[in-house]
This record gives sequence, structure tokens and C-alpha cells, in this order.
Amino acid sequence: MMRVSRRLRKWTATILDLPQDVVLDLPRVTMIGGLQLTVENHRGVLHFSPQSLRLAMDNGEMEVTGQDLVIRNIGAEEVFVEGKILGVQLHPKK
Amino acid sequence: MKGTWVAMLRGYVWVKLIGGEPEKFLNAVTTERITLWNISFTREGNLMFGVSIPDFFRLRPLLRANGSRTRIISRHGLPFRMARLSRRKTFAVGMLAFIAALFILSTLVWNVKIEGNSTIPEEKIRAAARAEGIYAYQWSFRMQDAASLSLRLARHLPEAAWIGVDKTGTSITITVIDSTKPEQKPLEGPRHLIAKADAVITRVVAENGRPKVERNDRVRKGDVLISGVLGDGAHSKLVVSKGKVMGLVWHEYRIASPLVTKSKSFTGVSQNRNYLLIGNRALQISGYRGQSYADSQTRTTLHRAQLWNRLLPFGTMKEHELEVVETEKKLTPAEAKEAGLKQAREELLARCGKDAMIKAENILHEHTENGKVLLTVLFEVEQSIEVERPIG
Repeated sequence: MMRVSRRLRKWTATILDLPQDVVLDLPRVTMIGGLQLTVENHRGVLHFSPQSLRLAMDNGEMEVTGQDLVIRNIGAEEVFVEGKILGVQLHPKK
Repeated sequence: MKGTWVAMLRGYVWVKLIGGEPEKFLNAVTTERITLWNISFTREGNLMFGVSIPDFFRLRPLLRANGSRTRIISRHGLPFRMARLSRRKTFAVGMLAFIAALFILSTLVWNVKIEGNSTIPEEKIRAAARAEGIYAYQWSFRMQDAASLSLRLARHLPEAAWIGVDKTGTSITITVIDSTKPEQKPLEGPRHLIAKADAVITRVVAENGRPKVERNDRVRKGDVLISGVLGDGAHSKLVVSKGKVMGLVWHEYRIASPLVTKSKSFTGVSQNRNYLLIGNRALQISGYRGQSYADSQTRTTLHRAQLWNRLLPFGTMKEHELEVVETEKKLTPAEAKEAGLKQAREELLARCGKDAMIKAENILHEHTENGKVLLTVLFEVEQSIEVERPIG
């Protein structure tokens, strides 16, 4: 049933040319240089240290690596990270 | 952290999290919708963040569930500042006293200005204003509103046409506009205008009353020119007669004009003398080597020393002596006669009023005797001849 609804959503998104994050409830990542990063639509913090921040997503995990990472602001939906960001990796659930 | 000043107003703390799992704590915080900011790690590996005071108290159950404690690193914002102030009592009292004093002093009336160049003396206006409670260092809440004040002030000052009271801040402006009054005329009773000399009328202008004479009439002294009685017999009314009657009047003049006139004039030679005044004595300082003149005029100027506005018994005196010479001038009989006539004309015009005019002059008699020219002249002068006489 879930699979059917997801397929339907994906199909409408492509037909109507809508941005995928709006339709599919995917995380949206905005990065400004290597300094600031905003993640919307996350599902919680899995791990946080000055070197890495792992965030839960609907479909897997997202890892932000860097140095001296600081969470400027955290809300139920979005995280605003500052620091020297070196990498963003996505680990989708197999 | 939405708006730094909002955070300052509510107060916030920097907190260190000790023990527990930071990730779980963060997730719990986000689900509770508590805002933390600047979440970072200290060197020791503890989570450090800023949180506002109300949110800090909401953290407690989460901490208990997580098995961690907090340590407050620093406090910021107004609530902490107020707490610190409350410890310094005198300072707080002084601050309150300042605000109270500012408020109290701003409710005082500091100055009363009076505007509108009125003929009513300012003291009188001030006295009236004082009676209505408008004066410097008065509580402004004890005064009534401006409209009723200006009404009541106007009752105190009936001479003013309009009085405005305007209060701006701590100063009050009273504007006084005078009412224009008609000129006061002296009271006049009913009267006639009569002739003050024998004359031949040349012009009659009657403003009020009934003219009794016409042009070229011959009148005697005391004749009624313009009557103050209107109507006749039973239907009469007394009025104040007004008008102008011009007439030709004859004046006979005897003139004695000397053939020799003496006049004084300065020769231009002069000398100065300076004195020092001590008490009522004068000590001559300079001008010792002057000549003595046969005839002279002396002009003296006095300078008294002054200390602020008190005269001191010291000073200087300056004397300026000018030599005078008397010159005699011999006139021919014709010149003497002309000089005498001129003087007589001036005297006559001065005596007959400003609208008098000499119409003719006849020399009746002329002879020279004892160094004088004796003349008898008859002047014919056109002048106003009316004079008032009250009726009854």
C-alpha cells in the first residue's frame, strides 16, 4: 500500500513538474560554501560531535563531516549547522 | 535565538550538559520544541548550548529521563541584571528616585510667559493669573484646563478682548489681546459760538448748530455766530454748536524799534582750566597762565568719580572760558522800521492762532525820536474768531 502511494506521488511530481522535496517529504539541504548548512525535514539527531553530525532521514541517514561543528539552531524540522564543513554523505537504507 | 534583544529581555544562560547521551537529549529537545542555540562541544567533550530561562526550566524532565545534569556557565539578560540591582539597594532606590523626581518636576509649571503687546501692565496680568492658580512652580494638575482658565482670566481682566492660555510642557503662555476702545471725548454742554472780537466775517463752516451770520457780515465782540438753539419757541432743542468762523480783525500796534542794536559774539579766543575736586573744594591743576578777558563766558563740566552707582567725593572739573565781544550795529531808520514790523508780524501771528493770515497792514504814524523809530501800524488779520459760550 505504501509503495503504491509513493509511486503515485512520484508520478504526479514528474507529470506536474513539481519539486521533489515538496511532494515526497525529502530532506532539503542548503549549503553556503563550506561554512553553513541548513537541513530541512530531518528526523532527529543520531550522533553529534565536533567532527560529524549524523541526522536521521525518512529513507536512511545523512552525515555531515567537518571540524568544529556547531549547531546554531535546532528545531523539530530543521537543523542549522555552522563550522568548517568538509563533506556531506548520504547513506540510504538498503 | 530570534532577535538578540528579545533574548536579552527574557534572559538566557549558557549551559553545559554533563553525562547522558547528547544525541538523545537533542532529539528529545527538538520534539519538545525547546529552542537551543549554538550547540557545540567543549574540549572535555561536553555539550554546551544557550537556552532562554523559561525553556531552561522546561529542560528538567528531559534531563531526568536522560540521566544527565546541567551546569550553568554564564547568565545574561535583564532578569539577572535586575536581580543584581536588587542586591544594590541604594543604587536601585536612587534610580527610582531619579525617575520619580523627573516625573514630579515635569508636572510642575516652570515658567509663565505673557505675550501680545498689551497696554495692560504685566503685573496686573500676572496677579490675575496667580489668582487663577497660574504661577511658576505650581503643580500643573492643580490647574484647570486651558479653555476654562482663559475664560476665568478674561473675567479678571475686562480690558482685554481675548485671552488665550496655552500649556506646552512645563511652560504656560498667556496671550492677551487688547480691546480697542474709542477715544474718550470730553463732555460738552450745549453752547453757542460767539465772536471774540469785532470783525467782518469771511467764512462760516457750521458743523453743528445754526449759523446766525453770513459772509461779509459785520459782527461785534460777543455776537452769536453759531447758535446752539435749534427750532423756535416751544419746539426748541439745545445742542453743542461746533464750527469754524473766520473773520477779518483789525489790530493796532505801537512799535518802538531802536536804531542801535547790541549783540554779543565769541571772538574765538578761549582757554581751559582743569581742577581736581575733593569734597566741595577745587584745586586748580592747569591753566594758570591764562589771560583775563574783559568779557567772557565760562562753561563748566563736572566729572564725579563713581563706584558702581555711588558718587564719590572726588572728581575733576573743566572750565572752558570763551572771550566775548559786544558789537553795536547802527541801523538806518528804514532798516529799523522793517525789523520792528517783522517782529510785530511774528508776535501777531503767534497770538492769533495757527490759521491766522495777515491780509493787509497800514502804517498810520511814523517818526524817529531818541534813537528809536516809533510806529503805529494797523494790521488786518484773517483769523478764527469763534469762542464758546455755554447756554444757560
